[in-house]
Amino acid sequence: MKIAVCLKRVPDTETRIKIGADGRSIDEDGVKFILNPYDEYAVEQALQLKDSAGTGEVTAISLGSSASQETIRTALAMGVDRGILLETDALPLDPVPIGKALAAELGSGDYDLIFFGKVAIDDYSHAVGTIVSELLGIPSVSAVGRLEIADGKGTAEREIEGGVEVVEFSLPAVLTAEKGLNEPRYPALRGIMMAKKKPLEIKPVELEEGGLSVVELSVPPARPAGRIVGEGADAVPALVEALRTEAKVI
Amino acid sequence: MARVRPSDTQPLLPLDRIIVRDAPSDESIEVDVLFVGGGPAGLAGAIELAHLVEADAKAAGGLGEISIAVLEKSAALGEHSLSGSVVNPIAFRRLFPDLKDEDFPFRQPVKHEAVYLLTKNRSFRLPTPPTMRNHGNYTASLCEMVRWLGKKAEELGVDVFAGFPAEKLLVSGERVIGVRTAPSGLDRDGRQSSSYTPGTDVVARVTALAEGSRGTLAEAYIQWQEIKSENPQIYALGVKEIWETKKPLDTVIHTLGWPLPGDAFGGSFMYPLEPNVVGLGLVVGLDYRKTNLDTHGLLQEMKRHPLFRPYLEGGEMVEWGAKTIPEGGFYSLPDRRFGHGVVILGDSAGFVNVPSLKGIHYAMQSGIFAARTIFDALKKGETSAPYLASYDELVRDSFITDDIFRTRNMRLAFKSGFVLGGFKSVMMTLTGGRLFGKRIPIETDADVWKQARSPKALQPDGELTFSKVDAVFKSGNATRDTIPSHLITEGDVDREVAEMYASMCPAGVYELVDGKLRVNAPNCVDCKATDVLGPRWMPREGGSGPSYKRM
Ligand SMILES: Cc1cc2nc3c(=O)[nH]c(=O)nc-3n(C[C@H](O)[C@H](O)[C@H](O)COP(=O)(O)OP(=O)(O)OC[C@H]3O[C@@H](n4cnc5c(N)ncnc54)[C@H](O)[C@@H]3O)c2cc1C
Repeated sequence: MKIAVCLKRVPDTETRIKIGADGRSIDEDGVKFILNPYDEYAVEQALQLKDSAGTGEVTAISLGSSASQETIRTALAMGVDRGILLETDALPLDPVPIGKALAAELGSGDYDLIFFGKVAIDDYSHAVGTIVSELLGIPSVSAVGRLEIADGKGTAEREIEGGVEVVEFSLPAVLTAEKGLNEPRYPALRGIMMAKKKPLEIKPVELEEGGLSVVELSVPPARPAGRIVGEGADAVPALVEALRTEAKVI
Repeated sequence: MARVRPSDTQPLLPLDRIIVRDAPSDESIEVDVLFVGGGPAGLAGAIELAHLVEADAKAAGGLGEISIAVLEKSAALGEHSLSGSVVNPIAFRRLFPDLKDEDFPFRQPVKHEAVYLLTKNRSFRLPTPPTMRNHGNYTASLCEMVRWLGKKAEELGVDVFAGFPAEKLLVSGERVIGVRTAPSGLDRDGRQSSSYTPGTDVVARVTALAEGSRGTLAEAYIQWQEIKSENPQIYALGVKEIWETKKPLDTVIHTLGWPLPGDAFGGSFMYPLEPNVVGLGLVVGLDYRKTNLDTHGLLQEMKRHPLFRPYLEGGEMVEWGAKTIPEGGFYSLPDRRFGHGVVILGDSAGFVNVPSLKGIHYAMQSGIFAARTIFDALKKGETSAPYLASYDELVRDSFITDDIFRTRNMRLAFKSGFVLGGFKSVMMTLTGGRLFGKRIPIETDADVWKQARSPKALQPDGELTFSKVDAVFKSGNATRDTIPSHLITEGDVDREVAEMYASMCPAGVYELVDGKLRVNAPNCVDCKATDVLGPRWMPREGGSGPSYKRM
């Protein structure tokens, strides 16, 4: 089985985000970047499928700046076999040109499965995986919470409002991973060491501009300070009162 | 009045757990040289060694490929690094002779400096003692310097592994043959969870211990080998905050006196990092005399002083952290800092000049010297003790020893109290250390009796002053809640002792609940104060602890 996993380099969730001087981008100075957490589930799932099949190859593909090599190395350290960086200076907000660039690479790869994370935690567009499947003309299932692959067919479960949807699909297909699909492994020291020797191909790409532009970024208003209403069981009535009249949540 | 001697309830360092004679596992990794600790000492050592290996290859010296690795316990380089920091650029210049000061990751040259003696409401400007002069130095963030050094090391082919604490020293006979990293994915009771990953054995021809202050493996090695020093090592705890201020600061400020009690040694610093970003901290010797001394609490109190308040008011505290500093100086240096297959660098060896509050350039320079020695040893194909002995000689004949020797008794003089100690240290400065130059014998911090006093309640306002819980949050500590405790306590301890731990620990790890000691281990920010006076600190799952950004 040939599997591709698409990865994105994103700011760490713990990072204190500062808006850049232009008011439309993030000031990257001192920001720590990580592998998009939803992509970790995708990587783990790909590795588990390869492990249980006993054969196959997992390729990690990232579209981004040269720094995304680090993100690919993380996946290589987890056990992915090889990496491809589609190198570009800046990513547009519009997911369509991103989808096109990835589809161009993926289309020639003869992959049985193509994984994405359900969403990138920086721009929250939820769209790239689905766009790629459309461009490649293959089925896609988004926000997969459970997955089984057997005899060239797949069954995926998606959590929906009030229930679970079970979807069957044929291969090749695009899947986007939901949190909880599995428990992503930590790269082991040995894995990191070996990752340095795995192939990582760098291909420059030109992206279309796309139809969206960022007008303005702003930080959400500061949350008002919390208040301790009391301690232990005696404080319950005061808490209920506060939830009812102040927070108006019950 | 009840008294407490911390050593009476302090567990011994568990040598049998730290020093292991197992043969390395089949899954082990082999490198030529391993640096344990990605601080200024370890990284400078790795970089210098890589430079030497590269030059050898260019000159067809025949050494061939040498693999160099650095193990760092924090999730990413720099996240456990905390310093003042005003840095003397000398070691950076020696490490990168082709670069200029502007190329280094410093923030700004020291323009003005001032030393004050504080009383509760007033400050008196003192002449800056020569030992505290900073002309020619730079303000900087140790986190940033470490990240920069890490990048340089990687560019030179050094393997930097962040998130991998060394937990055990692997030995064979008298020889250090490497380390075993800490496992991850253990649950609260130490059982393996589904994400369990065992530790990895890293085998090396030379292991350089550069774990910083109170290094666990370095301590264990020194005890195991019974390496003596004239005086025991003593420590101070520093608590530091970074503030984005409304009012700019252009002066490096040090203070003495209030809020410290007269029987405690220490002082504060406030350094500008950017015009509107300052690092502010308080450092207190752990030989203080009353159990309720609380460095974090004192720092909170200090910020209300008219010298500091105008800078901080209306600003925002953006980071908080804590760390110990070895303060014993010259007479506390271990008699030898090398052995079969091993060298000890930086703070782990005690290379700190206390009156000037400097250690970064000594740490880096010790790394540079170690690298030269290791390179020569590799060339000779032999890394047993005699081949590593020149490291001690290089240190002995350098500015590291000169500086530390000149101020050898200054910190120790304060054992006789602030006023007399102050007088003696002035005389020492005037005479270049010759007056009162004989070694002043001291005891370990844990052997100093403390009078029992009940803890002082902290009343933080959440704007200028902060609780320990808020402080830990600002350290970026995101340790897994279900991690097993990495602190070894002596079972049930008396109320007075528990209260002493609770006051001492800046991160709120220790609490007295229903008269019993409760240990909130995930709060720990690895400052190691506890290891000096109380429960032993052991390496834990990689990536645990704080994630400092600009400390
Ligand atoms: C509050 C304070 C203010 C200071 N101010 C100044 C100043 O202004 N100027 C100055 O020059 N010096 C100052 N110092 C001293 C200076 O910070 C130290 O001397 C210097 O950082 C020592 O460098 P090091 O590399 O030996 O140790 P560290 O900087 O402590 O680095 C050690 C590294 O090893 C890692 N580590 C430890 N154990 C393990 C393990 N078992 N496995 C893997 N990794 C491990 C740690 O996480 C850390 O990253 C100050 C210190 C403090 C605490």
